[in-house]
Amino acid sequence: MSKLFEIALGVITGIGGFLEAGSLTTAAQAGAAFGYQLIWAIAVGTVCIAFLVEMAGRLAAVSRHALPDAMRERFGIRFFLLPLAAVALVSFLVLASEIGGVTLALEFATGISHRWWAIPTALSIWLLLWKGTFGMVEKGTSMLGLVTLAFVVAALTLHPHPAEVARGLVPRGPTHDAARYWFTAVSIVGASVSPYLFYFYSAGAVEDQWDEGYLTINRITAGVGMTFGGAVAVAALVCAALVLHPQGIQVDRFEQIPFLLTSPLARAGFWLFVGALFIACFGAALEIALQLAYLVAQGFGWRWGENLQPREAARFALVYTVVIPLAALVILSGIDPLKLTVISMALTALSLPVTVVPLLILMNDPQYLNEHTNGWVSNVAVLAVSAIACLVALVALPLEILGS
Amino acid sequence: MLIGRDILDQQVVDRAGRLMGKVDGVVLGPPEGEDARIAGIVIGGTTLLWRIHRGLARWAERKLGGEGRATFVPWAKVTKIGIDIKVDVDAPRTRAFHWENWVRDHLIGRIPGA
Repeated sequence: MSKLFEIALGVITGIGGFLEAGSLTTAAQAGAAFGYQLIWAIAVGTVCIAFLVEMAGRLAAVSRHALPDAMRERFGIRFFLLPLAAVALVSFLVLASEIGGVTLALEFATGISHRWWAIPTALSIWLLLWKGTFGMVEKGTSMLGLVTLAFVVAALTLHPHPAEVARGLVPRGPTHDAARYWFTAVSIVGASVSPYLFYFYSAGAVEDQWDEGYLTINRITAGVGMTFGGAVAVAALVCAALVLHPQGIQVDRFEQIPFLLTSPLARAGFWLFVGALFIACFGAALEIALQLAYLVAQGFGWRWGENLQPREAARFALVYTVVIPLAALVILSGIDPLKLTVISMALTALSLPVTVVPLLILMNDPQYLNEHTNGWVSNVAVLAVSAIACLVALVALPLEILGS
Repeated sequence: MLIGRDILDQQVVDRAGRLMGKVDGVVLGPPEGEDARIAGIVIGGTTLLWRIHRGLARWAERKLGGEGRATFVPWAKVTKIGIDIKVDVDAPRTRAFHWENWVRDHLIGRIPGA
């Protein structure tokens, strides 16, 4: 495969894979409540995830080891249990959120309550993993995920004022409703820096048998792909700021979210929204379920790989076969998918130090990276964002739970 | 070489490149002179549990009986120590895939299309 083609594919993966239940909901809430004010939070989250994805890819390319593998080996089982539990818990909640997003899209399309769709959705996700290959999951979902570009089209038809949008990139304190503002900011960061993204990416790089020849591709893919992905999230925020904010609609019920596209694009907008929500959440659910299986299998040294038949990697297949129905049960239980999503994103932010710091230590270890260890910029950037996001979440999460 | 850093928790790979599990424990042989010597590495079984929680490990051992037996690879069979530990054994002939095979035969293999 030519290098250019690989880069294009990687960038498409970044764009098509960025928007999912979490980033869409948090961007919509931010735009509806605060106009352009919180664009900076998407920018911060995007820079951070670009660094993390690049690191995960570099670790895999140089050491041929995926992240959980390397963590268990470097830190030992007792410490490893901590990031294992944190990533597994957060990923499980995000998986449930994505299944919730798929079922909501189906409810919008059919009028049948989303709870009834939980089981069929789970079954389809499982079947695709059971029968599919890694390339199909990765490339298929990201190609189809390009439908989320509808948000960019919608944002452009609304003619946002470029200077005002740009002003949103500068972090500022809230003008009103401070608790809500910081909670939303930290949920946005959590949605962008979802650990499943870089854990999945590192396993993918090992599945695709990357070596040091891929380092440049990796850097471009991570940088450009995530930047464009972040731009799609900004577009969703802009739509919300121009459609929902002036009418004073706060996104606290999911029925309000399709307005984002129906207002600028009319009837076509409704179906584009339903399609985008369905595909984005379905693709993310596939990746998260797979990532949970990678996490456990790599942590315990089992045979793993989505390109193997289930019977060739039975314990690996068992993990996703168990977590998918469990996550569907969460939605079936009748929990509000919107609330679940937002809380999961804040919890993600809260858990960042546990999921990110071990990666940083690995990335500075020449035993794994040879001469390709981290520079100080990426170390400082990722550490600062994780620490601040965690602290803000620590304050904002209890306030949000008590408030609602 | 440090047991904790270089051996414990490393990936074990067999002669054919098959993933056998991580080094869950190390068996020290009878001391020769002043130094204890490594007799071999242990993979799987309840070994790992002993390093996490003793009560849990004891309970699991009682429950599983012989099922929980681990795979022992003599130190002489270790061919390379790097990020991975390469061993000159044939994994399917050890107990390393005991649970893998159990899950395959009793759960995953029973689902159509596996």
